[in-house]
Amino acid sequence: MNLLLVLPVLLPLLSGAALLALARPALLPARIVSVASVTAQLAVAVALLTVAADGTIVSYAVGDWPAPFGITLVLDRLSALMLTLAALLAFFALLHALGGTDQKGAGFHALFQFQLLGLNGAFLTGDLFNLFVFFEILLIASYTLLLHGGGAARTRAGLHYVVLNLVGSALFLLAVGVLYGVLGTLNMADIALRVTTLPAENAVLIEAAALLLLAVFGLKAALVPLHFWLAPAYASATAPVAALFAIMTKVGAYAILRVYTLLPGTEWIAPWLLWGALITLLVAGVGLLASRDLRTQVAWLVLVSVGTLLAGVALFNSAGVGGALYYLVHTTLVSGGLFLLADLVGLQRREGSQLVSGEYPAARTWLGVLFLVGAAAAAGLPPTSGFLGKVLVMQAAFDTPVLPWLWTVILLGGLAALLALARAGSVVFWKSAQIPAVAPMPWLRSVPAAALVSAGLWLAVLGGPLAAYTAATATQLLAPQQYVSAVLGEGGPAR
Amino acid sequence: MLLFFILLLPLLGAALPPLVAHWGRDAAPLAAAVFSSIALALLFILARHTFDGAPPELLLPWVPALGLELALRLDGLGFLFAFIILGIGLLIIFYARYYFPAEKRLGRFYGLLLLFQAAMLGVVLSDNLLLLATFWELTSVSSFLLIGYGFRAAEARRGARIALAVTGAGGFAMLAGFLMLGHMAGTYRISELLALGETVRAHPWYVPMLLLVLAGAFTKSAQFPFHFWLPGAMAAPTPVSAYLHSATMVKAGVFLLARLFPVLSGTDTWFFIVGTAGLVTLLYAAYLALFQHDLKGLLAYSTVSHLGLITLLFGFGTPLGAVAGIFHVINHAIFKASLFMAAGIIDHETGSRDMRRINGLWKYMPHTALLAMVAAASMAGVPLLNGFLSKEMFFAEAVHQEWLGAVNWVLPALATLAGAFAVAYSLRFIHDVFFNGEPVDLPIMPPHEPPRWMKIPIEVLVTLCILVGVLPAFVIKPLLDVAAAGVLGAVPHYDLAVWHGISPPLIMSLVALLGGTLVYTARRWVFMFHDRIPLVDGSVIFERIMAGVYAAAQALNAAMDNGRLRRYVGAVIVIALLLGMAPFLSGRALLGDLSFTAVDGVSAVAALMLAVGAIASVLFHEQRLVVIIMLGVVGLVITLAFVHFSAPDLALTQITVEVVTTVLLLLALFFLPGGAGDREPRMRHWGDGVLAVLAGTGVAALVLGVLTRPYETIAGYYLANAKPIGGGDNVVNVILVDFRGFDTLGEITVLAIAATGIYAMLRGLGLGLPQTDTVGRDWSSERHPLFLAILSRPLLPLALLVAIYILLRGHNAPGGGFIAGLIAGTALILQYLASGIEWTQARLRLRYFQVAGAGLLIAALTGAAAIAVGRPYLTSGLLHLELPIIGELELASAMAFDLGVFFAVLGVVIIVLAHLGRLSRLDVPTPLETPEEAR
Amino acid sequence: MEVLVAVSVGILVACAVYLLLRARSFSVVFGLVLLSYGTNLFLFAMGRLNTNQVPLTSMPGPYTDPLPQALVLTAIVIGFAMTAFVVVLALRARGILGSDKVDEKGSDV
Repeated sequence: MNLLLVLPVLLPLLSGAALLALARPALLPARIVSVASVTAQLAVAVALLTVAADGTIVSYAVGDWPAPFGITLVLDRLSALMLTLAALLAFFALLHALGGTDQKGAGFHALFQFQLLGLNGAFLTGDLFNLFVFFEILLIASYTLLLHGGGAARTRAGLHYVVLNLVGSALFLLAVGVLYGVLGTLNMADIALRVTTLPAENAVLIEAAALLLLAVFGLKAALVPLHFWLAPAYASATAPVAALFAIMTKVGAYAILRVYTLLPGTEWIAPWLLWGALITLLVAGVGLLASRDLRTQVAWLVLVSVGTLLAGVALFNSAGVGGALYYLVHTTLVSGGLFLLADLVGLQRREGSQLVSGEYPAARTWLGVLFLVGAAAAAGLPPTSGFLGKVLVMQAAFDTPVLPWLWTVILLGGLAALLALARAGSVVFWKSAQIPAVAPMPWLRSVPAAALVSAGLWLAVLGGPLAAYTAATATQLLAPQQYVSAVLGEGGPAR
Repeated sequence: MLLFFILLLPLLGAALPPLVAHWGRDAAPLAAAVFSSIALALLFILARHTFDGAPPELLLPWVPALGLELALRLDGLGFLFAFIILGIGLLIIFYARYYFPAEKRLGRFYGLLLLFQAAMLGVVLSDNLLLLATFWELTSVSSFLLIGYGFRAAEARRGARIALAVTGAGGFAMLAGFLMLGHMAGTYRISELLALGETVRAHPWYVPMLLLVLAGAFTKSAQFPFHFWLPGAMAAPTPVSAYLHSATMVKAGVFLLARLFPVLSGTDTWFFIVGTAGLVTLLYAAYLALFQHDLKGLLAYSTVSHLGLITLLFGFGTPLGAVAGIFHVINHAIFKASLFMAAGIIDHETGSRDMRRINGLWKYMPHTALLAMVAAASMAGVPLLNGFLSKEMFFAEAVHQEWLGAVNWVLPALATLAGAFAVAYSLRFIHDVFFNGEPVDLPIMPPHEPPRWMKIPIEVLVTLCILVGVLPAFVIKPLLDVAAAGVLGAVPHYDLAVWHGISPPLIMSLVALLGGTLVYTARRWVFMFHDRIPLVDGSVIFERIMAGVYAAAQALNAAMDNGRLRRYVGAVIVIALLLGMAPFLSGRALLGDLSFTAVDGVSAVAALMLAVGAIASVLFHEQRLVVIIMLGVVGLVITLAFVHFSAPDLALTQITVEVVTTVLLLLALFFLPGGAGDREPRMRHWGDGVLAVLAGTGVAALVLGVLTRPYETIAGYYLANAKPIGGGDNVVNVILVDFRGFDTLGEITVLAIAATGIYAMLRGLGLGLPQTDTVGRDWSSERHPLFLAILSRPLLPLALLVAIYILLRGHNAPGGGFIAGLIAGTALILQYLASGIEWTQARLRLRYFQVAGAGLLIAALTGAAAIAVGRPYLTSGLLHLELPIIGELELASAMAFDLGVFFAVLGVVIIVLAHLGRLSRLDVPTPLETPEEAR
Repeated sequence: MEVLVAVSVGILVACAVYLLLRARSFSVVFGLVLLSYGTNLFLFAMGRLNTNQVPLTSMPGPYTDPLPQALVLTAIVIGFAMTAFVVVLALRARGILGSDKVDEKGSDV
């Protein structure tokens, strides 16, 4: 069991290192290692999900050093959910990449593994500085994956993305520094404990540090005005990378949930987060209506989802967080699928994914059906998971003063998505002329797209159990004592 | 459970037609027909209970957290609508089979038709508000696809998109309304809701909730000012218009009014909003209908007008009004569907829908003409036809309503006026099309009767018109009763007699008939009058607005995101400043109460140097060589600071990193010749300066805030256990490789990834090799100066020895794998610089990828070894060795870990610098992007 | 002494921010290097400023807080990796975009 807890880190680490150690990795073995590793990670994640489902929190002391002195990995409902989500998304993204993307540059599979290493580590670690380290891992992996395949657009987008995130990392270090300088510890559970017994005159520094962290996580989550990197990066990355990136913004959301439910920091950041989220939704809506390219549109859809998601989180009540988590699962899989789908459409038209009338994809019928499902899910139309998630978040605003704002903005965002996607669909699939397929469609690329986009439907069918799980997750998060005692033991750390 | 199948059958059936379409022309229609007729049969099997007053119900959980459940209920109202949907649906399926040209496969058409049918059934059978909303939006989407069926045509795409935008937006509003309603009543179950009318109407949210719900109903039922999408939707194939836009979908709105009638109605707000909307729509659309030249356009506006009539009836809020409304829903469905089908036949046979060209068809297709004329007469409200009866009831209600007090007479008057216009456009439909001279250059000449079977559906409906009109009490009363019971609970007294004696309604009817005839006979002048008043089509306005929205979005987006890194970074800094300063705005003290320690001269001087270095690197940021030197100075000062504040490891690391970084920057500088760039405006410099100073001040303030406060750290544990458990004196190193070895593992992973990325970036990248430096002096032609080469070669083994020494002592004294790796790396780099790549490569057969990867593997596996012996990952072990010469030696597994670090770092440094150095060899032009990359 | 360190950190960060806001990639790179210096010094200072308290248990105490030193060391290494990466990225941008401006082509002043 305990071994199970460290596997999500070990598997990608070892396979990644092995892929590097192979001098000039031939394609086939690299692919085998990569797929095997991701499949194993998926299995492990599911196993961990079953462990965490009943509400138990398991901690794992790396190096056998007791918390808070060593680094501990912690598994709770949230981390199990995120691990499974990441593995699932990665699995399909990888399949799509085997369709040829992985040959477009050096070391794709190693980097893919390291990306997962960063994600899994971030979801598991219970130590703030270690979180920073895993952030750096997933960032530098993402820098390189973003540039994978070369090209001017990617290079430019990459440069902006890298510089911005390096500034973000610096801010992270400052915040961690202040927290350590005042509290003298790095373990998040221990931080939570020590904040409670904090002399009042020191609280102001902790608050400042917490708010600085919000800037860091906000940058990861692409909260307006920290969102500028998102659209170009997502729109220019190769399809499987973009699909995998669908979970990158969610890392920010995860960190926000994890850190501020432990620090009693929710009341400090809630207003900032809420209004930031609503503004994000509006800006995303504008970008969506303005975009002239399918890939860019999907990128803006990701931002729409960020707004909706964080609006739910910012309520910091169990309904809001639970709904937001359901929405998180939905939007991660669906937008990942939409990136793959946009790529398929692009492959089939001479105009690529640009929204200009011209030639519609040869495999129009089923691509069209997929697009319809994905669009409905993204716009939050029933009976898709997007609808369920949106309504869950809206319901959470009952009995809060922000209800009118939150509802208006969320519904406006949905409307913008509806208009933009209806326009896009009618241009690509209707206002065009049939031509023989420009490129054949390998099943390795089409099946993952179908699987992920159809999540919009099967997540709705599974809506009951999933919503129940996320609701339970929310309650667990909002009562952090269990987490603290699971990490430090009942009596707190021995000093 | 059967109830569920009524819904499920069309849904499953929807998948079938596309699959079987290629079997032949009849496959798709047949499949569709089979499924909806089975559903219809089921409906009647279940209806028994409904008529017995025990409506069948079904309840399955779906998303409890949401209050969303699969709750179906077949009460009277639901039965009536389900009957209309399935019954007329079957006729349409039959009709469409003949309407479409023979070569069409029709798989998609029938699939979508069934999908819509299922959605519509869902709307009328749902017993849960959220479920209803779900099916509601499904009807919007499926109708979007049906209107856009002929997507080659621009107006089809346009009509579809407008319809979706309007009804979709309305649906969103309605969803919000439903959520509020559910919250107010404490349940989403409609059957429970109906009993809670008082609670709801008394609730402070009543009005906003009502407005939102009505927004949904009015958009769907094309009430003014949302009516404009319906005429646009006439771009759909006529069977679709006959089904969606006369009988079913547009009735969803009024269905909602009926469904929630007991909960929402009975307030002034209800009367004034619903009543006004209905009245305006009734008149406005009836008037416009007269002036349509397109056959379907006339029918579309007449539909809007009749929907207005129904809405008005519900607006009265009286039981009898509701009954009349339901009755008119039935009648309108019957005659309007048949009229649309007739129009379809005419279009089909003449190739035109323009009433200015279609004339005198009586001669060519008398049978169709007869059917159409009966239906039109019913639309006009001619006695002995079903339209007459419900219109009578409407007039009666108009007379009896008391809301307007002194001006009560206004309503009957306006009702009669609307009736007159209805008569007028019905007359036009009949006279223009079937008489009024000869056809004018029709595409198909001469037109003739359609295939026999195509008329069957119309004949069925027209027969109903007459039956209901003549024998209402027998034909329709039972159905009407059960439906009314479904809405009102109890059925109010009303009698469906054709003859009530001379009563106000009858007089109004006669006035309407006469007036209508007058208006039509005087149409020349009416048209002239109409052409004078400028009326803009709603859809045109809508399109303009949308265009404006898109343009605005583009402008706004461009204004927000100018694609400049400067703004992006600026945003991050500003936000960080705001967030960081916010807590102090409440006036809480920044500084703690610890006092400052004294400053010694050396430190002061050092700090001064650092300041000078940093500031100089700003002032001269165009001259890059200067900047690099200045950065060196800064790094050096920081190294000294580390030494001074008892951090020898950091000092060593800093200095080595310093060296490597400088080499790196110099190499890069070789490819990035500096020189002055384009001048930036002075203001910008100042703005940036201010921002920079603020940021610096903020960070400095944080430092002071922390340093003036005491803190209790966990460090004691490390100091206590480093030697006994960790097996090393150098606590920092023990933390790195043992206590927090996990961080270090991550850190070298970062290094390895960076190396991979850099390798990938440099591969295939060629940079024009500058022949001269920035000042224009030629670069020395001597690639590898001899003395440097000679000097450096003996240096290598020496440096390696030092590296290994530092590595081994690391655990107990300053040093360790990272520093050692850097030293060894620099030594090797020196070889490259001195003797060139080829020379070195020839002698050093090392694959640095392997080195880095191997290092990472060693580190990772060292940790994994612990797992093998059942301890947690990265648990370190101690190994005591009694070696002959060396004597006692204590090996911590952490040292193996450190070895891994050493190799990782070594490999990385070489990859980075060697590959960067190699760039200078290839002098290829910038590689062009392949289209693959462009995507 | 604390003031001195605080001011130094402040100056480093200020200069870094100014350079980050310039339009040419190399200035931005310099900015990042300065920024990492600044943050490292900051993080180090969080362990308080003690002279002659080297955390070697072979030597007599008292010892300064070793943990921040370890953190800074990790930060330095990561910073080095990032610097190397961004330098090469700047080179690549120069090679592919043919300019050392960090902004998109066409979006000129």
